Amino acid sequence: MIYLVIEALIKIGILIGGVMTGVAYLVLLERRIAAWVQDRRGPNRVGIPLTDFKMAGLGQPLADGLKFLFKEEYTPGHVDRVAYYLAPVLIMASALLAMAVVPFGAVSIPWGDKNYVIDMVVAPGLDVGLVFMFAMSGLAVYGVIVGGWASNSKYSFLGGLRASAQLISYEIPLGLGILGVVLVSGSLRLDEIILAQSHGLSWNAFIQPLGMIVFFVAALAEAARLPFDLPECEQELVGGYHTEYSGMKLACFLSAEFIHMITAAFLLAILFLGGWHFPGLTGPATETVGPVYAAIRIGVLLIKVLLVIVLIMLIRWSWPRFRFDQLMDRAWKVMLPLGLVNLIITAFLVEFAPGQTVIHAVVGWGAMIGSLVVTAMFSPTATGREKAAPATAPLEPEVALAKTR
Amino acid sequence: MKTDDPSISWVEEPKLSLGDRLYIPLIMQGLKITTRHMFSPKVTVSFPEERPTIGNPLIYRGVHRLNKDEQGRVKCVACFLCATACPAHCIDIIGTESPWEDREKYPQSFVIDELRCIFCGMCEEACPVDAIELTSMFDLTGRSREEMIFDKEKLLSVYDQTKDAEPMKSRQYATPTSPSGGGGSDSPSAHGKVESHAGHGKSGGH
Repeated sequence: MIYLVIEALIKIGILIGGVMTGVAYLVLLERRIAAWVQDRRGPNRVGIPLTDFKMAGLGQPLADGLKFLFKEEYTPGHVDRVAYYLAPVLIMASALLAMAVVPFGAVSIPWGDKNYVIDMVVAPGLDVGLVFMFAMSGLAVYGVIVGGWASNSKYSFLGGLRASAQLISYEIPLGLGILGVVLVSGSLRLDEIILAQSHGLSWNAFIQPLGMIVFFVAALAEAARLPFDLPECEQELVGGYHTEYSGMKLACFLSAEFIHMITAAFLLAILFLGGWHFPGLTGPATETVGPVYAAIRIGVLLIKVLLVIVLIMLIRWSWPRFRFDQLMDRAWKVMLPLGLVNLIITAFLVEFAPGQTVIHAVVGWGAMIGSLVVTAMFSPTATGREKAAPATAPLEPEVALAKTR
Repeated sequence: MKTDDPSISWVEEPKLSLGDRLYIPLIMQGLKITTRHMFSPKVTVSFPEERPTIGNPLIYRGVHRLNKDEQGRVKCVACFLCATACPAHCIDIIGTESPWEDREKYPQSFVIDELRCIFCGMCEEACPVDAIELTSMFDLTGRSREEMIFDKEKLLSVYDQTKDAEPMKSRQYATPTSPSGGGGSDSPSAHGKVESHAGHGKSGGH
């Protein structure tokens, strides 16, 4: 029993350390990618302190962290103290908790005459892993709302309002995108969802492209990444719900956002891109493998996650932000019906053609193309100002000006 | 003004084709542009290691220098035209009687407050003997305000530092017939200087 506790503590330490380090370096990666996209170089100066060794800016996260630590932590006088202190804790805890069920596979280590099997996940064998992850990302909304409310400032409040509306709306397409995967693999356990995809190239991305699109768009919105970053758009709201925060509390909010993005990338990799599976590289389609394969599997999963994150960061600099009504239309009029279509088609396929991957894939791609074309034809958000111009012929500008005089 | 006011001219939104309404071609277009820029050459100059290229040093307005003539004397004749032209009043000259034959006055002290200077280049244009010029040195730093007040010796040393990289502008634009054996006569050389300034202005226009 005591060994289980020790094992769990070590796993938690590794996971939190890894995630927080990952967040620090993802901030650096985001800044570098932003710079590269804008033809700049980005932060490349901070290396080992007190030396000229620059290491392409790899010391930047340390400097950023120190800056956050030593900044004055100012609490404005007009805030609601309890909620103000509670919000960063809420959002950080829920973001970190969601990582507890991310499975990296299991490793069996021969030791003497026995084989020790270690599940490389903090909470092994959690039957409701997916629901747990979902619940935790849902809790993050409270952090945002409480933070925005407690700050007692109009920018924070508007940011909190936008965030709550957006996150609650997009949770529905997020769930619908996942439900198709759950139907196909018949389990809510993340490790079994990966196992179900580990035969050849039967990744869910190839079988349910529509589900993946719905999930990816909703995940971007859940993580408040750029086409959907209305809760904190700097141009309109200063900083959104964390406008009034400073110092480590602000760092909590910012890193929780990055953890949400990491969680979304992990979910996408696990649910749709085959998790740790890569054909011909990651060994037999079993949960438990030897140390070598286990290491390869961790590497494959992390590389997939990194690629997804890089895509998300590129998206940030590629597309403009949606207007808020367009954002809501996207959720309720496009993503929700698309998710339902995907769910119904998958349910039919699982009922009447179970296990026939080829049929699933053909129908899935057909459904994606068909529904996207239908969406495009009747799209309610394609810029449309529905109201037609008045029937009178438009006047020349000079005439118009003369008339107004 | 109401929306059906006849003086409002309505602009129709462009019709989107089916491909545009699908979003996917446009999304791919956006991603393509950002990806291309990610790998394109960067415009940032890594400053201390890498020096920026000054487009045309002749028209660049950096730190001032006081030119010397062939005998190593300061060219300035303490006429106060630059100090008069200076809009920031940063030039302070004390003129005194010249020990040399060819001019009446010379600057006993010539001080430019580089912190007040706005680097407009009007002193250079005003100078009748091309004694004061702006170089292309731009990284001007100091640890105190006093250090940034350049006296005559410092301005002359700026000339020594930059004379090889940037020869005197009057020398470059001087007519071939201009006197070469030391400043003898005053009026023809002043006339030559005016022409050289015209040439200078033309090069600035390019």
